[in-house]
Amino acid sequence: MYSRLFLLVCLGMLALSSQAQQPGIIRGVIRNPSGNPLQAITIKIPELRKITTSNQGGEYRFTNLASGYYTLIFSGVGLRTIEKKAEVKAGEETFLEVTLQDHTVDLNTVTVVGRTEVQEVNRQAFNVTAVDAKQLYNSTLDLSSALDRVSGVRVRESGGVGSSFNLSLNGFSGNRIRYFIDGVPMDNFGSSFQINNIPINIADRVEVYKGVVPIWLGSDALGGAINIVTGDRYRNYVDASYSFGSFNTHRSVVNAAFTSKSGFTFRLNAFQNYSDNNYKVTVDAADIYTGAYTRDAVVRRFHDTYHNETIVANVGVVGKKFADQLLVGITLGKNYKELQTGARMVAVYGGWNRRGNLVMPTLKYRKTDLIKGLDVTVNANYNLGKEQNIDTLSARFDWYGNSKPNPNGEGRGRSLSKYGNNNGLMTATVNYKLSDRQTIALSNAFSTFNRKGSDVYNENFTQGQVRPRLNKNVLGLGYTYDEKDQWSTSVFGKYLHQSTPGQATFNKMGFGAAVSYFVIPSLQLKASYERANRLPEANELFGDVELVQGNLALKPEESQNINAGFSYGFAAQEDHHFLINANAIYRYSDNYIYSRFNQNQSALVLDNLDGVFTLGGEGELRYSYKKFLSVGATLTYQYLQNQQEYVYDTNGNKVLSPVYKDQMPNIPYLFGNADASVILRDLGQKGNVLNIGYNMLYVHAFWLYWPSLGGSGGGDKYGVPMQLTHDVNAVYSVKNGRYNIGLEVRNITDRRLYDNFSLQKPGRGFYLNLRYFFNSFKI
Amino acid sequence: MKLRSTLALALAAGMLASCAKTESESGNPKSGNFILTVTPAATTGVADYLLTSQTLDSDTISTKGNGVEQDGSYRYYVTHNGKFFSMLYGQGNPGAVTAYNIQNGKLNKLTNFQTETVQAFAPVNDDLLLFKISRNKNTPNSSWYKVNTNSLTITAEGTVNTLEMTGLGELAHFTWIKQVGTKVFAPYQTIIDRSFNTKYPNQASIAIFNYADMKLEKIITDTRISFIGQYFQDGLSVQENGDVYGFSPAAATTDGKVSTAKPSAIVKIKSGTTEFDQSYFFDVEAASSGLSITSWMYLGNNTYIVNASTKAEKLEGSSSIRVGIVNVVDKTYKAVTGMPELTTISSLTTNNYTSKDGKTGYIGVNLKDGTSYVYKIDASTQKATRGLRVEGGTLTAVQHLD
Repeated sequence: MYSRLFLLVCLGMLALSSQAQQPGIIRGVIRNPSGNPLQAITIKIPELRKITTSNQGGEYRFTNLASGYYTLIFSGVGLRTIEKKAEVKAGEETFLEVTLQDHTVDLNTVTVVGRTEVQEVNRQAFNVTAVDAKQLYNSTLDLSSALDRVSGVRVRESGGVGSSFNLSLNGFSGNRIRYFIDGVPMDNFGSSFQINNIPINIADRVEVYKGVVPIWLGSDALGGAINIVTGDRYRNYVDASYSFGSFNTHRSVVNAAFTSKSGFTFRLNAFQNYSDNNYKVTVDAADIYTGAYTRDAVVRRFHDTYHNETIVANVGVVGKKFADQLLVGITLGKNYKELQTGARMVAVYGGWNRRGNLVMPTLKYRKTDLIKGLDVTVNANYNLGKEQNIDTLSARFDWYGNSKPNPNGEGRGRSLSKYGNNNGLMTATVNYKLSDRQTIALSNAFSTFNRKGSDVYNENFTQGQVRPRLNKNVLGLGYTYDEKDQWSTSVFGKYLHQSTPGQATFNKMGFGAAVSYFVIPSLQLKASYERANRLPEANELFGDVELVQGNLALKPEESQNINAGFSYGFAAQEDHHFLINANAIYRYSDNYIYSRFNQNQSALVLDNLDGVFTLGGEGELRYSYKKFLSVGATLTYQYLQNQQEYVYDTNGNKVLSPVYKDQMPNIPYLFGNADASVILRDLGQKGNVLNIGYNMLYVHAFWLYWPSLGGSGGGDKYGVPMQLTHDVNAVYSVKNGRYNIGLEVRNITDRRLYDNFSLQKPGRGFYLNLRYFFNSFKI
Repeated sequence: MKLRSTLALALAAGMLASCAKTESESGNPKSGNFILTVTPAATTGVADYLLTSQTLDSDTISTKGNGVEQDGSYRYYVTHNGKFFSMLYGQGNPGAVTAYNIQNGKLNKLTNFQTETVQAFAPVNDDLLLFKISRNKNTPNSSWYKVNTNSLTITAEGTVNTLEMTGLGELAHFTWIKQVGTKVFAPYQTIIDRSFNTKYPNQASIAIFNYADMKLEKIITDTRISFIGQYFQDGLSVQENGDVYGFSPAAATTDGKVSTAKPSAIVKIKSGTTEFDQSYFFDVEAASSGLSITSWMYLGNNTYIVNASTKAEKLEGSSSIRVGIVNVVDKTYKAVTGMPELTTISSLTTNNYTSKDGKTGYIGVNLKDGTSYVYKIDASTQKATRGLRVEGGTLTAVQHLD
C-alpha cells in the first residue's frame, strides 16, 4: 500500500519536473556475444520504477525521462544480468548498446541464490516447481523420468522404454493432471508424442504446477499441470545427441533453428527412441501345458520392442511488426509397441502390438504489445493421426516363448482395430497490462473430438448408441497484481462447457486465488486456493476401444485445492548456499473419478466416487558449495483418505463401506529423491568440464489393496515392496559444451523394481550419450 | 502464522495416518475349519478375503486386520480332495489358481498353478474338470482342462465344438458340469449372443461325455422345461442311489426378456440311464404358488435347501432372497421360517456348506444394511437360526475343509 502511495507521489513529482524541462530518451540494442539481437530482455530503471522489454530486433526504448543519471538493469532468460549507468540530457536521445553474456556455461551448476529463469518460475505465487531441463541435456532421460525427480511427483511405469506410465502429483493422477507444450494442451496428441517418449532435450524447462493451475493454461486440470517450455533462446543453433545402451536402446535427438536477418525462421525438433526392452525379470513362469509354475524363474522379456520417431517442423517469421512469432508447422510421428504382459506378469503375450501415427498441422502466433500493453497468443492444431491395436494370433504364450493354440486369441479376444480420434484444438490468450503491476488475462481453449474407425473382428466397433463426439470449451479470466519481489496476488475464474450430441451438457464454474509474499527477498511465503473441475474425457465417456469401456453416466469431478508453503534461500560464509522449500497440500474431491473393472473384468470402467481427501507435505533441501558441489534431497508424504461412506454392494444395495476413512490403496504415500553432483572445471583444458552425478530414488512400500483389511502377517496381504535405486553418471564437456560425452549407469545395484504390483522394471543398465551443441553462427 | 498452520496440517496428516495403521484387530473367533469368503463392498481396490472360523453357529468375524487376501475379487471357490481352491476369473487371461489345505485352523498355501479363465468346473474323481466356453460363433470351440488335485497340474486338455453340438445354429453354453458315474453331464442353455439370448427358450438339453477321453457320447433334450441350472449354478444332483435330478429356473431369455413358457420344475434321470424319465415331473411353481428355484444344495435323503424367487423378482432380475426346503421324492416345497425380513435381505449365498446329514445346511445372508450372517437351516423343521456374524464385506461362500 505504502509503495503505491510512494509511487503516486514519485509520479506526481516526475510529472511536475518534466513539465519544467524537455524530456529525454534512452534507447538501444541488446545483443548476445555473437552479435545477434536478443528479444524479451527486461530492462529496468529502478530509480523510476520503469520497466520495458526488448523487441525481436533487440531494441528497447524509454521515453519521457527527466534529465539526470539513471541505472539500467538488463536481465533475461538464462543470461547474466548486468547494470549500466546512463545520463539523460534534456531533449536528447541517449543510445546504449549492451551485450549480454550467455549463462550456458553455468547451467551445469545449481546457482542456488542467483535466480535463473527456472527459479523465477518457482517464485510465482502458484505452487510450482520448474525443472531446468538444460541441466539434463547430457542424460538419456525422457520427460517422465526427469519429472520423477520433482518433489510431490511420482511416475509409475509398467516396464521399460515406451511402457505405459501414470504420473501422480500430490496424490492426483491420470487425467487430473494435464500436459501442455508451450501452453498448448497435449490432450489430443495421440501415443506418438507423450511425455514418456519425448526426450528432455526438447524442453528448455518443465514447469510443474501442483494443484492450482494458472489461467493461461486454459484447461480443466484438477490436480495440477505440467507445462513443457521448449523455448526459443537461440536464433541459430544445432543440438544433436545420440545415445546407446543396455537392452539395445538407441535414442537420438536433433534440435535446430535457423533464422535469417530478415526474420525468416525454420525450426526443427526430431527425435527417435528404440529399445528391445529385453531385460530380465523374475517371475513365476507357468508351463502352458501343465499349468505348473516355476517359482522365481529368471527369464528375458521377448516381446517388448518399442520404437517411436517424431519430427516437429515449424516455418515462419519472427520479429515482425504484426507478429513476434508466426509459425506454421507440422508434427509427424509414429510409434510401435509390443505388449509383453497383461496387468499381472503371469499373463504373457507374444503377438499383441499397437501402432500409432501422428499427423498434426499446427499454427502458432504470438505478439507482445500488439497495442501498448496487450499481448496476444493464438495456437491451433488438428490431429489426423490413427491408432491401431493388433492382436490376431490365436495362441497362448509362456515366458519361455513357447505357444500353443488358443481358440479365442491371446487374451481379450482378437483385434485388428484402426481408428482416428480426429482432435482439433484452438487456444487464444490475451494479456493486458493495466499498469506496471496489474495484468488482466483472458484465455479460451476450444477442443473437439470425433472418433471414426473399424475393427474387422468386432463389427460393433464405435457403433454404440452414442456417436463418439465431443466439444469442449474452457474460458478463463484472471487478474494479477504484482509488486515485484514484495508480494503478488492472482485471482481467476473459469467457465467450462462440454457437450456431446444426445447427452447431458456440462457447464461448470471454477475459481481460485494465489498469493505470494516476500518477508525478505530470500524468504517467500505462498498460498493458493482453487475450486477446480475436471470434465470427463472422451476416452472415459466413450471408452478407448482397447482397455477402457465407456461410461456415459460419468459426472465431472470437483475439487478444492489448498496449498501453502515457503521457500527460503540463504548463504553461509559466502560460498555455502542453502535453499529450503516446503509445501503443505490439502485436497478434497467430490465425484472423484476412478477406474474399476467392469462386470466381467474384461475392461476398465471410469466411475465416480463420493469423495477422497488428501493431506500431504513435501519438502526440498539443496546445498551448494561454490560451483563445485551441489547436493539436494526431496521428500513427499501424502495421505489419501477414502471419504465414500456408503457404497453399493454387488446386488446394488447401498451399504456402509467397510473401508470408509481408510487410506486409499495402491498409491505410493512416502517417497523421495536425493542427488549429488561434483563439477570439475577446466579439466584437461580450459573450458572443459567434468560433471559427476548421483541420483537416488526412494519409494516406501505400499499395499495393493485396502490397508485395513486382511491379516498383514505371513504373506497374507499383497503389496508393492520398498524401492531404492541408485543411478550414477559422468559427463565430460569439451569446448564450452560444444562436445559432450556422457556415461550413465541406472539401477546400479540391480534391484528388482516395481512401480505397479507384479510389473517388474528394468535392472541395471549402461548408457553412453554423445551430444553436439553449436549456436555461434549466422545465416 | 502461515507457517504454523502448515505444520499443524502436516502433523494432522501424520496423525491420521498413524490412526489408520493402529486400528485394532477385533476379537475374531478362534480360527477353525470353516472357511468364509468375503468381498468387501468398496468401489476400488477390491480383493477377496478368506476367513477361517471354528464355528458357524455364533460369534462375530471380520475382515479388519484378518483373513488371507486374494489377488482380485472375481474369484470362484471349490473344495475337493481335502483342498480349497481359489480360482481367479480374469478376462480371458490365464487364471491363477491357489490351492490351500488347512492346518490348525489356518489356511496353508500349497501352491499356485495356472489354468484358464473358465465358466464351469467340477470335481471328477481326483480331478477338477474345467470348461472354458465359447460365446462367439466365429470361434465355436470350447476348451476343457483336467486338473489333477494331487499333482496340481493340468494333465489333459481338449476342445469340443459347442456350436455343432446344438444343431440349432446357437452355441451350447454349459450352465455347470456334474460327474455321474464314469460320465460327465453338462446341462446347457443355447445362446445366440453374449447376452445369453436364445430363440429356443422352451427346451432343456444335457451333453453327456465319457470322462476318460472326454468324448461327447450323447445329447439328451426335454421339452417339458427350459434349460437346467443357470450360469455358474449347478442344476444337477446325484442321489445316494444314483438317480440324477435337475432343476430348471425357467429363466431362458429372448431379446433380453424372460421368454420361456415352461414352469420352474424338477426332472429326473434314473440311475444308470441316459434319458430323461418322462414319468417324473415336479412342477415347483405349482407346488410353491409361483416360485422358481434359482439354486439348490443337496443335504442327502432327497432333501434340498433351495433359493427361490417370485415371478416378479425373476423378471426384475433381482437376486433370490427366499429359502425353501424341497423333497424331490415327496414333490414338496416348504418355506423356511426364521429368516430375516425379506425386505432387509440383499442377497443369499449359493456356494454353501452342508454336513450331508439330510437336514442341516448353512447359508450366508447379506443384509441391506451391510451386515452379513451365516444362518443354520434345519430342513426337518424348516427353521433358520442366526449364527456367525460377518463384518467388513459381502459373504460369498461358506465352506468347510478337514
